[in-house]
Amino acid sequence: MTSLYIHIPFCKQKCNYCDFVSYAGKEHLIDEYVEALCREIRSQPATRDSLASSEVERRLATIYFGGGTPTLLEPRHFDKIIKNLNSSFVIRNSEFTIESNPGTTDLAKLKALRSLGINRLSIGVQSFNDKHLSTLGRIHNASEAIKFYEDARTAGFDNINLDLMFALPGQTLEEWKRDLHTALDLGPEHLSTYNLQIEEGTPLWERMKQPSPDSLKTLTLSQRERVLRAGTFSPWEKVRVLSKSDEGIRFPSEEEELTMYKYTIETLTAAGYKHYEISNFAKAGFECRHNINYWKNGSFIGIGTGAKSQIIPDERNTIFLGLRLLEGLPVENFAGYEKEVAGLINDGLLERNNGHYKLTRQGLYLGNLVFEKFV
Amino acid sequence: MLSKIRNFSIIAHIDHGKSTLADRLLEYTGTIEKRDMRAQVLDTMDLERERGITIKAQAIRMQYQDYVLNLIDTPGHVDFSYEVSRSLAACEGALLLVDASQGIEAQTLANYHLAQSNKLTVIPVINKIDLPGAEVEMTRNELIKTLGFAEDEIILASAKEGRGIDEIINAVINRMPPPAGDPSAPLQALIFDSHYDPYRGVIIYIRIVNGMLRKGDQILLMGTGKEFEALEIGTLRLDLIPCDSLSAGEVGYLIGNIKTIADAHVGDTVTNARKPASQPLPGYQPIKPMVFCGFYPINGEDYELLKESIEKLQLNDAALFYEPETSAALGFGFRCGFLGLLHLEITQQRLTREFNIGLIATTPNVVYKVNLNSKQPIYIDNPTKLPDVSAIASIEEPYLKVSIFTPADYVGAVMTLATEKRGTFINLEYLDPKRAIITYEMPLAEVIIEFHDLLKSVSKGYASMDYEQIGYRVSDLVKLDILINHEPVDALSFIVHRDRAFYYGKKLTERLVDEIPKHMFSIPIQAAIGGKVIARETIKAKRKDVLQKCYGGDITRKRKLLEKQKEGKKKMKLIGKVEIPQEAFLAVLRIGK
Repeated sequence: MTSLYIHIPFCKQKCNYCDFVSYAGKEHLIDEYVEALCREIRSQPATRDSLASSEVERRLATIYFGGGTPTLLEPRHFDKIIKNLNSSFVIRNSEFTIESNPGTTDLAKLKALRSLGINRLSIGVQSFNDKHLSTLGRIHNASEAIKFYEDARTAGFDNINLDLMFALPGQTLEEWKRDLHTALDLGPEHLSTYNLQIEEGTPLWERMKQPSPDSLKTLTLSQRERVLRAGTFSPWEKVRVLSKSDEGIRFPSEEEELTMYKYTIETLTAAGYKHYEISNFAKAGFECRHNINYWKNGSFIGIGTGAKSQIIPDERNTIFLGLRLLEGLPVENFAGYEKEVAGLINDGLLERNNGHYKLTRQGLYLGNLVFEKFV
Repeated sequence: MLSKIRNFSIIAHIDHGKSTLADRLLEYTGTIEKRDMRAQVLDTMDLERERGITIKAQAIRMQYQDYVLNLIDTPGHVDFSYEVSRSLAACEGALLLVDASQGIEAQTLANYHLAQSNKLTVIPVINKIDLPGAEVEMTRNELIKTLGFAEDEIILASAKEGRGIDEIINAVINRMPPPAGDPSAPLQALIFDSHYDPYRGVIIYIRIVNGMLRKGDQILLMGTGKEFEALEIGTLRLDLIPCDSLSAGEVGYLIGNIKTIADAHVGDTVTNARKPASQPLPGYQPIKPMVFCGFYPINGEDYELLKESIEKLQLNDAALFYEPETSAALGFGFRCGFLGLLHLEITQQRLTREFNIGLIATTPNVVYKVNLNSKQPIYIDNPTKLPDVSAIASIEEPYLKVSIFTPADYVGAVMTLATEKRGTFINLEYLDPKRAIITYEMPLAEVIIEFHDLLKSVSKGYASMDYEQIGYRVSDLVKLDILINHEPVDALSFIVHRDRAFYYGKKLTERLVDEIPKHMFSIPIQAAIGGKVIARETIKAKRKDVLQKCYGGDITRKRKLLEKQKEGKKKMKLIGKVEIPQEAFLAVLRIGK
């Protein structure tokens, strides 16, 4: 049994924060791309000799269409891909997710996708605030997102995830609370909440630099080194840089961001969602099996441009990925790290529970200080 | 034939094109083929080429028609002015190079005066006349008015484009005098440079002033009193060319099984041990470091490596002083002495780059003279060695006479800066309506901390400076201690004027807040004088630091980020519970930037 990821690199418009492999204005290549995907599916080692491999081996536990914007493809494209999957793999009781963007799909297409066997819909809502949606460069507004969610329900999707972002430029705690409650009112089965990261080379990064091209230069040596080391820096560091030289967009401070994160955990937990990964919450039984496989460092097949496969798990990743899950991972995985574990327990970042080491609440906030000990 | 020899230097302010001109002269005289030319042959160290300056002097012999032209290169930075002076003492003439787009600057003047005091024939050359910003007329007028040259003495050139090179060569031959000197007198040869070769030992570069040096002679170095055998002597081309004898007026090298350049100081006199000269040549000074700082390995295990590396550097750098010291905060390391801040920075970079040592350099300081109530005064080169206040009658610090060259527009800004830096105004003189020389007496300690950078910044890069030492003066000085998380960090202590202590304490604590990354706990940073806290800042605790997003395609990249973060921490020094980056130890140097 394995997991399968298929990448769809097309977008109507590139979002301002996005550094994924995706391209706007190349929709004319979709047909050709789908052909290539199908060829890649047929050439998978596990399937080439499909008679010889057992049905268990060929069964896909999860399938995930990510992007990009997979919903830019037409039902006929999915039909073709799924036919190819069916001839090479076994799809039975599989979690079958597709990422989607409000504003790219109507009810008819949603129905078609559902009838093709896709049973989980992940909606990139990001915010229910039009001002922030526009800063992020999203192509939809809040009411379109809500409409889209309702259409998805009508189309028969009973396992829906909403992606939301916090710590946006200029965002207040009150605004974030409103976003969260709007999402809760809709009642999705799953919620992913991320703080905004400004990745180098994205329009948002460039724009942050625009008001003052010198803003990076005002960094001290060590800050600059930290920025280079990280390749990206957190909004609160940016605001410190910017505030020295200009009136650039104000980011929430580290403290405010933490408050938002804490509020998220408390609110969603109280509403009956299980906080099962640093950024992920689900109603009982609706945890995303596809992503859990990543965090448990399982094997997976990746198809399409930019997608990676992992046939034999890289053991260097086991601990830092596993600790992302709130249940932690079994203590035997920590052999050879006794000193680090003792130090982290002493610092109050790690705890032992049911034969597992897991992040404490504090450890959740300062996860990187824990992860870096195990790489 | 003395009459066929010319020994000369090129002197210039930094960046006025000295090395490029040297390259052109080498090409023109056929000393080196154009195709073999690396840019700036004389600057052999990577650092020199990178910084565009010559750190060590070198010499090269050119043959042109039936003349022997010895070009003796000089270091281009004020830190090395003693070496410049010794190089000039080996010459009869100097080419004074002035950038047409910059005009006369501080070291143009300083070097010109050095050349004059060595009684050299100086030929003025205006360089870079090809530049769009060249102000040939203005520069010519400055040379005439300020330095007293006649109009027809001045040569126009563009070393980059090879213009004026023939005229320069002819002037060297026709206008500079041949060396004087008596080949039959007892040997007197001036050491104007030396360098350590790992295979051959110390190679010294000499100018024979009187007498003759033969291969196999037993020689005596009059300053150090050491004797060696002249195993090999010769002239300097791009390579060393051995010969059997060197006679008065000539420039060459000597190899004599000399193990360390500390035995063969620049400026010393070589004579024949069997038939010594009655007196050494004038002007020799033992080298005295002016600026000190501590060098510590980030990882204690690197101590031996650091020791070996400093030893290796010292083989080639007699001006580098070092002795072991221990810091409560940093462990085992070395207190090192330098000619100036540039010398310090170069040494630090060479240790880091050539020997790959993770290094912490502590805040530089000068040598203080401490007058005690009871005994003889003591000299301290490390703030932590300052005795208890009750035992001190007074503290003296070294002073400089600083000459600042600036466009008239910035006179006010420069004077404000110099006053802030505890300068005492001496003189203001206008070269012409557009340019002025301002003279101040200033504490060396203020000059080594950021003064040069600030000077450049207040004058938009136009002002230049030069300095000379003028001895010790009493000042009201106190020791400022820095406490990080309540622990005093001795490596951050420094001595400062009482009136400036509060300012420095405040700035330094602020600066350290920027330099030290957030930790899980909040960290107080305090500045204190004798136990009394005068400034305090706090580094807030890190509250949230977690990769929020991590999925399939991204795992390797995320792990690399974590690895980088971990690597970065390895480069920090753990003091108490606080990880301190290297730069923090030089934070005081960046106050005010």
